[in-house]
Amino acid sequence: MTDDSAPVSGCYTEHGVSGYGVAAKLSRNEPMPEAFVKAMAEAMMMAIASRCIDLGAKCIGHIKSHLRTEAGTIKADTIGVSHGSFSSGAISHPVKDLYLAINSIVQGIPEDAVKAATLDGMHEVAEQRGLSVVKEKEHTYFDEFDFTASKQDFIKKLAEQFEQDKRG
Amino acid sequence: MQITQIAGFLGCGKTTLMLQLSRRLAGAGQRKVALVVNEIGEIPVDGKVIEESGMQVKDIGGGCICCEVAATFAKTVYNLYRDFRPDHVLVEPTGVAVPHQVKLAARMSGRDAKISVGPAIVLFDATRPAELLDMDMLGQLVTTQVKDADIVAISKVDAVDPGCIDESTAKVTELNAKAAIVNLSSFTGLGIDTLVERILNWKE
Repeated sequence: MTDDSAPVSGCYTEHGVSGYGVAAKLSRNEPMPEAFVKAMAEAMMMAIASRCIDLGAKCIGHIKSHLRTEAGTIKADTIGVSHGSFSSGAISHPVKDLYLAINSIVQGIPEDAVKAATLDGMHEVAEQRGLSVVKEKEHTYFDEFDFTASKQDFIKKLAEQFEQDKRG
Repeated sequence: MQITQIAGFLGCGKTTLMLQLSRRLAGAGQRKVALVVNEIGEIPVDGKVIEESGMQVKDIGGGCICCEVAATFAKTVYNLYRDFRPDHVLVEPTGVAVPHQVKLAARMSGRDAKISVGPAIVLFDATRPAELLDMDMLGQLVTTQVKDADIVAISKVDAVDPGCIDESTAKVTELNAKAAIVNLSSFTGLGIDTLVERILNWKE
């Protein structure tokens, strides 16, 4: 079977839908318990959604996030400011490092604006809560991640991917 | 190998439904089920979430499978057929995909794999019907999705009152009188059995 299609425009572009994705490592000196991480993730989703609306978005498709830690995974998302944000998942003990991926899909503003809203929202909420954004990569994910690996191994692999990107 | 898509606009509950349907279809090892997840944001968050459930998942990022990366989708389906031979492939297109174009893309893989195309199940979010059908916003896209559906699942019915469900049902029926309508709550499990039954008994 051959991959013979020429690149085409997305069907969604004519509807004014734009997407932006970013992965980041966030750290804090003081360990963060589950409630703290969930509250931060929910606040981040709302901050990004609010910024998108402020920049002219007509509708939030979704803002989704996935936070990996050495102690488990937290997911948080929103479909709009008026709908609130929700989180799920669990971490077994307080952690200092979070590997975060955010995917923002919005209608009514261009990708550059979605990018600005996503990055500003992520940085502002992280910094308000004493976290620093140690590393950041856009339009990527931890693709080599092995979900069957031990918690220590997967954290090592996530860190290695950031390092590879830095070297590349 | 039957290919069934779980379509619908962003945030309507596709990923949660995919997880539940895949487990129910797989049963206690009676059927092999694989999942294909597509996201336009290039960060396949949903795929990673599903992958954690232990299902066989293929992520397609970098574009929409109904248009930009249709050939990649067809190739992915073929590779699943060749390597895994599932009985069912559940496909979660992006929330902005057009279901009939996803069906066309799925059929491209039929050149090399023995496939049948299952129902286009389109989710319609009962918590925001007016927002979704506002023609100044997403109305044209969401209308097309509903019109293309073989089955419309009115999702999140546990989160709204009966009047809202009736409102969504009326709007959907107005757009597509032929589609079966199922009230769905992935939270309570309402409608899941009906959808599983429809998938298993679907005839093209």
